[in-house]
Amino acid sequence: MTILWFLIKEGFRGLGRSGYAGAFSIIIIALSLILIGFGYVAARDTLVMVENIRSQFDITIFVHRNASLTDLENFIEELSYFEEIEKIDYISTDSAAAQFKAEFGEDIFSILDYNPLPPSFTLRLKPQARNLASIEDLTTRIKQYPIVDEVRYRENFLRLLEKYQRLIFIAVVTAFIGLTLISIILASNSIKMTIFSRRNVIATMKLVGATNNFVRAPFLIEGTLEGLIGALLASGVIGLISYFFNNYLQGLTGYQIIVSYRYYIGLLVLGSLIGLIGSMRAIRRFLE
Amino acid sequence: MITFFNVSCTFGKDAGVKDVNLTINEGEFVFLTGSSGAGKSTLLRLIYMDLFPEKGKVVIRNFDSSKVRPNEIPFLRRKVGMIFQDFRLLEDRNVYENVALSLYVSHYKTREIKNRVYNVLNQVGLGHRVYYNPRELSGGEQQRVAIARALVKEPVVLLADEPTGNLDPRVASDLMNLLIKINQTGTAVIVATHNYSLIPRVANARIIQVNEGEIINPV
Repeated sequence: MTILWFLIKEGFRGLGRSGYAGAFSIIIIALSLILIGFGYVAARDTLVMVENIRSQFDITIFVHRNASLTDLENFIEELSYFEEIEKIDYISTDSAAAQFKAEFGEDIFSILDYNPLPPSFTLRLKPQARNLASIEDLTTRIKQYPIVDEVRYRENFLRLLEKYQRLIFIAVVTAFIGLTLISIILASNSIKMTIFSRRNVIATMKLVGATNNFVRAPFLIEGTLEGLIGALLASGVIGLISYFFNNYLQGLTGYQIIVSYRYYIGLLVLGSLIGLIGSMRAIRRFLE
Repeated sequence: MITFFNVSCTFGKDAGVKDVNLTINEGEFVFLTGSSGAGKSTLLRLIYMDLFPEKGKVVIRNFDSSKVRPNEIPFLRRKVGMIFQDFRLLEDRNVYENVALSLYVSHYKTREIKNRVYNVLNQVGLGHRVYYNPRELSGGEQQRVAIARALVKEPVVLLADEPTGNLDPRVASDLMNLLIKINQTGTAVIVATHNYSLIPRVANARIIQVNEGEIINPV
C-alpha cells in the first residue's frame, strides 16, 4: 500500500514538475482528440445517413397480368417464407393506375383507353438483407416463379452506395488509427522531453536499487494523467462547439451534433490510453 | 565479501582496469588511491554493477557479475551504499524525501521508513535539517544527506567516490570521522580518493594503489 501510494504521489508530482513539456503533451493530446472526436461524429452521421437511404430501398416484383387471384395468394404466401423480407405490399392494377394519376396528374385510361400497368409487389427488406449480395440472391430466387414477369431494384444506385459506404468506413478507420498513432508519437516525444529533464531522478532511483518497474510506474501514471487532462480539455471544446452549433447554426444547416455521455467516456479512455502508451514508449529508452 | 577475479574492463580511450585480482572483507576500511583516470571509479562501478568486466568476474556476496541478470542488479544495489563527489541529490525533494527514496524502492512500510530516516539523519547530524531542500544546505551537509541515503538501507558496504572532492578541509575531516564511525558499526567502507591527506586519519585502513588500471600493491 505504501509503495502504491508513493508511486501515485510521484506520478502526480511529476505532472506538477513537468512544466511546459507537460503542458505541450496535454495540448497535443487534446488537439488530436478533438480531431478524432469530430471525425468520429462526422463519419458516424454519414454512415447513419447512408443506412437511412438503404432503409428506403425496396424491390418491385411485376407479375403477369393474367395471374389469377389464387396465383397471387399463393405467391404472397411463398414470399412470406423468405427470411430477408420484412414487409410485402401488393399493388393491384387499379392501385397502380391511381398511383400513376397521383404522380403524373393524368388518368392512364384517358391516354391509352386501357390500363397497361401490371399488378406488382413492393418488398421492404430486413436491415441485414439490405445489401447487394443478399438482394441479388433474393431476386434470382424470386425470378424462378412463373408468375413473376420482372424484378426491379436500383442496382446501380445500391452498388454506388455500397462502394461509398465502404470508402467512408475505410477512410474513418484509417483516419482514426492514423490520428491515434500520430498523437501517441507526438505525445510520446513531448513526454520524452519531460523524462529527459528528469533523467537524474531516474539515474538516482536506479542507483539506490529501484527496479525498472518502480522507475517506470510514476512516469506511466503521469502520462496517463496528461492523457486524461488532454481528453477533458478535448471534451470541453467538443461540448462547447456542439452547444453553439446546435443552438445557433442548426437552423441554417438542419444538422444537429449529438454526442452522448458514452462518447465522452470513450474520449477519456482514449486520451488516457494515448498518454499511457506514449509514456511507455518514451520511458523505454531511459531504462535500457 | 567482494572479490575481483582477474578483472579487465575498459571504456573510453584510457579509462578502465586490467587483470585486477582483489578481495575486500566484511567490515574493512579500504582506500583506493591513485591519480585521476587511474581506474578507481571503474573499480567502484564494477562493484555496484554499473559496469561489467570484459574479462574475469566480480563477486559481491552471492551476486556474480558473470551470472547476474539485469533484473537482479537493483537487489545488489540495495545492499551497497554509494556516495559521490557531486552528491547526486534530487533537488526537487527535501532531505527527508531524498533519504526515504532508498527505502521506498525496497518496499518498506511508511512507519519503518519514518523511523529509519529520522534515526539516520540524527546519526549524520542532520536531525534539524529534515525538511530543508538540498539547495539550502552547505556542501558538507549535502554530502551528509547522501551518506544518510546510502546508510538508511543498512548496506554491507559503503562506496565513496571522491567524497571530499567538493568540500573544504575542515568539512572533509568531519566527513572522514563520520565514515570511520560508520565503519565501526561493521559496514565495510571503500573510499576512492586522490586526497592522500585523508589516509592517516584512519587507523588499520587498507590502502590499495591503482595506476593506469592496475593495482600496484595487490592483496
